[in-house]
Order: sequence, then C-alpha cells, then structure tokens
Amino acid sequence: MENTFDPDLMHAIFKLVWKRRSLEREKKEGTDNLEGELGAGPSKKSRPTTANANALKLSCELVRVFITEAVQRAATIAEAEGVNKIEPTHLERILPQLLLDF
Amino acid sequence: MEEGESNFGREEDEAETELLRDRFRLFAVSIAEAEAKRNEMEISQPVMECIADLAFKFSEQLAKDLELFAHHAGRKSANMEDVILSAHRNENLATSLRSFCNDLKGKEPQSERKRKKALKKEKTTPSAFHIS
Repeated sequence: MENTFDPDLMHAIFKLVWKRRSLEREKKEGTDNLEGELGAGPSKKSRPTTANANALKLSCELVRVFITEAVQRAATIAEAEGVNKIEPTHLERILPQLLLDF
Repeated sequence: MEEGESNFGREEDEAETELLRDRFRLFAVSIAEAEAKRNEMEISQPVMECIADLAFKFSEQLAKDLELFAHHAGRKSANMEDVILSAHRNENLATSLRSFCNDLKGKEPQSERKRKKALKKEKTTPSAFHIS
C-alpha cells in the first residue's frame, strides 16, 4: 500500500487555517460596522467551513503528488550531474518550475 | 485586556500549528524517502525538511483556496470539485486528480482494484505534470 497523508491530519490543518481566517474576518468586520447590527447576525457568515471526506482524501493525494514531483524532478537533476544523492542545489534548480506547476 | 487575550489566542494558534506541522513532516518525510528510493537516489536531510515545509505551506494555501471556492459556490463545505478546481492551471494534474476522484467515487461499493491500477499508471509515467 502506497503511503500517503492521514485525511484527519489534513482536516486538522484545514480547520486551523479556516479558524484563523474567520477570526481575522471577524476582527475586520468588527471595526467596519460597529454601529450596525450588533447582536443580529454574526453567526451567519462566520459559520465554519468544512470539507467532506472524499475532498480530504483528494487533497491528501494532491499534496502527495506535490512531494513526489519535487523528489522526482530533483532526482532527475542529480542523475544528470552523475551523483546519487539529492542535495539542496538540485532542489533549488527545480523549485521555480515546481511552484509554477502547482 | 483585549490585546492580551488576542495575544494568548495567537500563541495557542502557533503551538497548534507547530504540532500539526510536526505530524505533517513525518508523513512528508516518509513519502519523500520512499519516492527517492524508487528513483534509486539518496536524499539529504535538509532537502527533505525543505520539501516538507513547502508541502505544508502548499496545504495552507490549498485550505484558503478551498474555502474561497466553496463560499463562492454558496456552500460551506468544500467538495472534490473544489480540490480539482484548485489544480486547474495544470491540466495534467487536474486530469490525474479527476481520475483519482472517479476512483474514490467508484470505490465505495467495490474494492480498491481500480485505485491500484491508477497508481501503477502513475509509476510508469514519472514526470507527467509539467505544463507543456
């Protein structure tokens, strides 16, 4: 069985980012409309985002592909240089295109 | 008072991020090592750490994208379409994700034979995700 990420871990990371962003948004809104509907409807927009199970699995796959691509491309460069160990310089060479591709 | 509270919140947030990052790193390193072995290459420690960090940042970015896409579609839950959409700039990648997605959909009733097939295919076409 191929090793990949744990969807639960991915979910935890996503939730953390979403929580951080919703806090930021709340802060912004709080300064924007102080006089506006105070007790009325903060809950509507700040309802937390979720992700379904398959979406998480697919995200795991996407991140896995990102890592395998990084290693494979760096390995290609290392091979071209005739060494059999991937060094930081090899990663440096492939990094720009990798980041453009993902 | 309020400032102190928000500072505390941030510290807590950072501690949590650190914990998740460490767990993430373990997975990332084992994937990278396995991949290097398949290419009959050794891989130096700093490279692996760097790749793990990149992948973590990539996941955070992905989380933001998914949230935006889902909200734009009027949903509060991200689904597979959102994930595929996040890879739309790279057609090969999007195609690969879509086939993985179809496998996941088809997986519920039957076994994981299809998935294995897809993985094998991936192995034989090593670096197919370049934008041509």
